[in-house]
Amino acid sequence: MAAPAVKAARGWSGSALGVRIAVFRFPGLTQVRWSRYGPEYKDPQTDKEYYRKSLAEQTEEEKYERELKKTQLIKAAPATKTSSVFEDPVISKFTNMMMKGGNKVLARSLMTQTLEAVKRKQFEKYHAASAEEQATIERNPYTIFHQALKNCEPVIGLVPILKGGHFYQVPVPLADRRRRFLAMKWMITECREKKHRRVLMPEKLSQELLEAFHNQGPVIKRKHDMHKMAEANRALAHYRWW
Amino acid sequence: MVAPCLSCGAAVSYRLFLGGRVSFAGRQGLWKAAAAELHPGAGSQILRLRHTAVVTTKKNVAASRRETYTVDFIKKQIEEFNIGKRHLANMMGEDPETFTQEDIDRAIAYLFPSGLFEKRARPIMKHPEEIFPKQRAIQWGEDGRPFHFLFYTGKQSYYSLMHDTYGKLLDVEKHHSQLRAKDLLAEKTKILKDPIGSRWLIKEELEEMLVEKLSDQDYTQFIRLLERLSALPGGATEEEFVNRFRRSVPIQSKHQLIEPLQYDEQGKAFSRGEGKRKTAKAEVVVYGQGSGRIDINGVDYLLYFPVTQDREQLMFPFHFLDRLGKHDVTCMVSGGGRSAQAGAIRLAMARALCSFVTEDEVEWMRQDGETVPCVPEDTQVG
Repeated sequence: MAAPAVKAARGWSGSALGVRIAVFRFPGLTQVRWSRYGPEYKDPQTDKEYYRKSLAEQTEEEKYERELKKTQLIKAAPATKTSSVFEDPVISKFTNMMMKGGNKVLARSLMTQTLEAVKRKQFEKYHAASAEEQATIERNPYTIFHQALKNCEPVIGLVPILKGGHFYQVPVPLADRRRRFLAMKWMITECREKKHRRVLMPEKLSQELLEAFHNQGPVIKRKHDMHKMAEANRALAHYRWW
Repeated sequence: MVAPCLSCGAAVSYRLFLGGRVSFAGRQGLWKAAAAELHPGAGSQILRLRHTAVVTTKKNVAASRRETYTVDFIKKQIEEFNIGKRHLANMMGEDPETFTQEDIDRAIAYLFPSGLFEKRARPIMKHPEEIFPKQRAIQWGEDGRPFHFLFYTGKQSYYSLMHDTYGKLLDVEKHHSQLRAKDLLAEKTKILKDPIGSRWLIKEELEEMLVEKLSDQDYTQFIRLLERLSALPGGATEEEFVNRFRRSVPIQSKHQLIEPLQYDEQGKAFSRGEGKRKTAKAEVVVYGQGSGRIDINGVDYLLYFPVTQDREQLMFPFHFLDRLGKHDVTCMVSGGGRSAQAGAIRLAMARALCSFVTEDEVEWMRQDGETVPCVPEDTQVG
């Protein structure tokens, strides 16, 4: 049972700032954004269904958790989070990664245009197809987006490890969040670099997403290249110590 | 003209300017503001000498031992404090009998206004128990033999406490096994009744209680033993023993003051709320019956916030409480950017809605992060 320290959110004149423990990722990467909340502050829970569950439906653990939450300090919900049904955490993350210079308005409009383009293309295909094929065509842009990103996630990654004065690319298992990040990063980089300057981002992105959904295209190829490199460097796997 | 400054026990050097100085005499922990000496400079011949006071290192000052306060000394301090309290009450024109510590604090803040940022450096007048650190009486008699049998462990209070707790644990287990042998297993009420409303003592509190320094491992060991004890069924004495080491945890939603609903001339219910986010300030009036209209500075919300994200923020509290088309809102907002204004209005609306809604839902809103003011992140440069 944890003993939460009774301290309020620290201000400027207070003692230590609420510092998140620096996770050792790679040398050279340090944290630049510090949260001003102390460690006793918990993240807010925006899911409406969680609160609407009646007492009968809750398990013992949930009841205990609810009681415990009443005594805990909670952070404020950020500006991007709502309880809306239209909100998708994956889409929000992707929008943030696409954003340049803090221009969230532009990133979000590009995202909506991309999803619209995907939907239009799928509907065109749907109307042009025969009855049996119509059943197989997926028209929901959100499912296409999620499936495409899932298809692009690598299973194993490479990490440069210094040994004997040389850097070796060592195959390493990746955490879930790293995989999702790599999939999104590859998708965005691909769409930014490998397009003609007159082609707009939504069109290129929708095209890439549809290709990835069908397990084709340059992003999938990049994932396969990563897997092949990892397979080729199998002998170096014992350089990993974690 | 300037007397040399007094050192505070630690090595400190001051740079003094003629014109004013304040010296701290930290002897008894009470700050005394010395009179600032004004330089009698007249006309144009003011000498601007810059003195650097003598730096006293630890070698010059007598070895700084831990100052031991005798019992008589503390008693005298307490008497002086009580007399001083009565004088202070007289000065402020209040009744000396019912002069509480809050009244003392207010009186001192009034009589000695201080602009210092560090709150702990400001003048205080508190009971000597709070000012002088607690010290232990002499642990051994005239013949040099210690009173307590665990004196030579070095941490006698801690080890005796562990000893007692473990003794209690064994007793409870023995009692329990006896009952089980006789098949008289009574009701299984654990010793610790309310694990959520209270918390274990933190290490500092335990140190204060035992008047002894503890290490982290000692503390965790003790808490583990207590948890083991509290998981067993037991009687009232054990409960009382365990509760001595528990402190209550406040229920957070009680901090939020919920204003009662107000009614205007037509009998419509309304409620006010205020919110801040970065530099934006918003004041909001939420009306009970309405059609979901939101007016911001006289302009409709659709025109004021062309960006979808801001309108989603406005919608958040209502959507969460399933009251989307049921309230009318009028707000005045100023300062900040568009996102900050949207956040400020969201906070203000959530607070105003607390009056319309049950206590459970107020708690849910708090757990959602809506009624909590936002603390922005700190971005380091470089």
